[in-house]
Amino acid sequence: MYAKTMGIINMIKNIEFAIFKNQIGSDGMEATLEEKRVLTGNEAISRGFYEAGGTVAASYPGSPTVEILEKLKEYDEVYSEFSTNEKVALEVAIGGSFYGARSMASMKHVGLNIASDPLMTFTQTPINGGFVLVSGDDPGLASSQNEQDNRIFGKFANMGILDPSDGQEAKDFTKNALEISEEFSVPMMLRITSRLCHSRSVVEIGERQEIKPKGINEEREKFCMIPPGSRKAQFFMKERLQKLEEYAYDTELNKLEIKEGTDTLVITSGLVYYNLKELNPDVSIWKLGLIYPISEKKAKEITRKFKKVIILEEMQPFIENELTLMGISCEGKKYFDFTGELDIKNIYEGLDKADVLIKEKKEFDNRFVETVPRAPLFCTGCPHRPTFDILKKSKAKIVIGDIGCYSLAALFPFEQSNTIISMGATIGITKGIRKAMSLHGENEPLVSVIGDGTFFHSGLPTFVNLLHKKKDDENITIIVLDNGTTAMTGGQPNASSGLYNERDDMKVGIKSLLDAMGFDRVKEINQYDYKAAAKLFKEEIAYEGLSIIVANGPCALKYNIEESYYYVDPNICINCRACIKTNCPPLRMVKYDGIEKLKSSIDKDMCVGCSVCAQVCPVDAIKSSKNIDREDEKIDN
Amino acid sequence: MTTNILLGGVGGQGLILMTKTICQAALKDGFDVKSNDVVGLSQRGGMVWGNVRIGEEVFSPNIVPGEGDILLAMEPLEALRWSSALKGNGVVILNAKRFYPTLVQQEKYEYPEEEIEDMKSKIKTIEINAFEEAVKLGKKQVSNVILLGILAQYLDIKVDTWKDTIRNNVPEKSIDMNMDAFDLGYGYKNKT
Repeated sequence: MYAKTMGIINMIKNIEFAIFKNQIGSDGMEATLEEKRVLTGNEAISRGFYEAGGTVAASYPGSPTVEILEKLKEYDEVYSEFSTNEKVALEVAIGGSFYGARSMASMKHVGLNIASDPLMTFTQTPINGGFVLVSGDDPGLASSQNEQDNRIFGKFANMGILDPSDGQEAKDFTKNALEISEEFSVPMMLRITSRLCHSRSVVEIGERQEIKPKGINEEREKFCMIPPGSRKAQFFMKERLQKLEEYAYDTELNKLEIKEGTDTLVITSGLVYYNLKELNPDVSIWKLGLIYPISEKKAKEITRKFKKVIILEEMQPFIENELTLMGISCEGKKYFDFTGELDIKNIYEGLDKADVLIKEKKEFDNRFVETVPRAPLFCTGCPHRPTFDILKKSKAKIVIGDIGCYSLAALFPFEQSNTIISMGATIGITKGIRKAMSLHGENEPLVSVIGDGTFFHSGLPTFVNLLHKKKDDENITIIVLDNGTTAMTGGQPNASSGLYNERDDMKVGIKSLLDAMGFDRVKEINQYDYKAAAKLFKEEIAYEGLSIIVANGPCALKYNIEESYYYVDPNICINCRACIKTNCPPLRMVKYDGIEKLKSSIDKDMCVGCSVCAQVCPVDAIKSSKNIDREDEKIDN
Repeated sequence: MTTNILLGGVGGQGLILMTKTICQAALKDGFDVKSNDVVGLSQRGGMVWGNVRIGEEVFSPNIVPGEGDILLAMEPLEALRWSSALKGNGVVILNAKRFYPTLVQQEKYEYPEEEIEDMKSKIKTIEINAFEEAVKLGKKQVSNVILLGILAQYLDIKVDTWKDTIRNNVPEKSIDMNMDAFDLGYGYKNKT
């Protein structure tokens, strides 16, 4: 039996581990499969899209939603791509939907900012093929530059919004979103939070439903958003949301759990619902799956029966405001934080403040012990390490950063970013600073850094803009860090990746692009060649004008850089710590037998042999193990 | 009864694959299971952590601080960091291999050796240098499977289930090495 089950698993292309109940049908021939898998919220959304007959999916990698598209790549029936940026991704998905194919765009919350231009007008058109926009919100900012609540965006864009609580709902709601979208001709948002994106839970797997695209809708006035069509669209949007609100009255997406003998109702949604359940408080719960629009009729019918109505939601008081606008008396943000995640402890404390009875009085221990912090840092062998080590020693005192792995340069010990705002913002900001300085006769060096992913995402127009009112005596040095991948989100390909490996299809050379634009001082350097890079950086930073350095070097993680390890000869080391300051993880100062002072050392199991530490060592105390044949001559740090 | 497993480690050590493997094994033996783990910026050498909850019916994936049963610590400083989230009778499975954080490397802080010793004296701890053991077996990457083997001593999940699950998650050519790593962990006892 077991071997047979394993055989079936092997037949499934998806390598996800699965449980099967192999039931022989009444005729003894046909076997039906009932399958459960443990999936993350992201994987569940992928699966839901696949099962719903989804055809076109596009995204731009950003935590917490990266894995949605990565997982979709496993399905041949679905066209999926990481687009150049979120705006393009949304447009690709809109195209799929316009042709009548079920389509999905997924992105992190801030991605919607750049995608908002097509979104705000697309949502005025009727829906041909079901459309769902997945917005990965990040309460607590686990890996984001802000904490915007995209439920507000969804309402602003006249969309319906679903908010799942676990993997099963993430999958089901993706299908529901596509169905509702077609039935009510309304674009849907699936709002998911970072915790649920990465949380695993048990999900029942279904089969794919094949849906043939309807083809283009010929009612042009409804799709060409120019007056008068766009004026009519305002009424169309209002009407369809009203219809959706009627649907919301008794939709099974919302669940009412009545607890006898309580006069308090908690209204909640998303993963927070399960955090609340964990406490088993003495309340009834109205769990919303469809969080916008909320049926006013239903909300009044339910809340009328309770003395106290508490809204439990992360970030903005979205549901609270909706209910307040309906004239329903409720409280929420009075008890719960406006920022961060609402974990079990936060909910307990909020309910306690609200005088809600919890039978079991809880004492919470500290979540963790206050000890040495461990901040993220550049990976062992990262090509950006030498660049920022050189910058730190340079005359440039203002460095304008951007979003990517190189954001880590803002942290100790490099501290090489004065500002970081949003994808591709560095060049425009640098120009503004430079112009402000110039008008006041200040001309100290100004450096701007941007990665290859960010360059293609939204950096390109900012480079073109540099050519406007460009002055020959204005000192700006731009460093384009080209590691051939969108690294921070896990090494997704971008437009220059094809130059680094054969798997990726785009081979857009950054230097040739900049040359073609008309920049006359664009230089390339291999970041691992420390001395040559240091020399070039020094020259370009001193140059009174605009210069661009394309600093190359493959991402050590994505391209598995691994050469013979390096080691320190403690008898040569002068404990100057030049190597230590590069912050490479295998390096540290240690006490050697018979040597009084601490000397540098390298953990050979972690070293990938990038050689940067050896290049910064002023006395050649760091050597490659490659050149030593006899094991016993190697020094083990 | 829900069993709460905390995981703590350093970005890049493979913590996410660990939580995934535990979840899959639990489901396969018929349990409800939920997990969460931190993903994002911390992948680059920062502190990473995870929660796995196994039981009849699991609501939240999050472990309430102070209700952890087992702390699977992939690094000693991270063991210390998350030790406060354990119950009084909780167990620490400790990988002794140290990864020194930036602030220790840059000599701003000492690595907290004394506090770690103190933790070990107060909380039941199974300690192994899984990294060294893995290198002996042939590949440092199997160190996590050694730790899973030790974890398996404490969970009501069948050995065959663990092995099948691990087999499904590792490259085919390294299956034998991973099975050896699991056996090493499953049979491991503290040397004292």
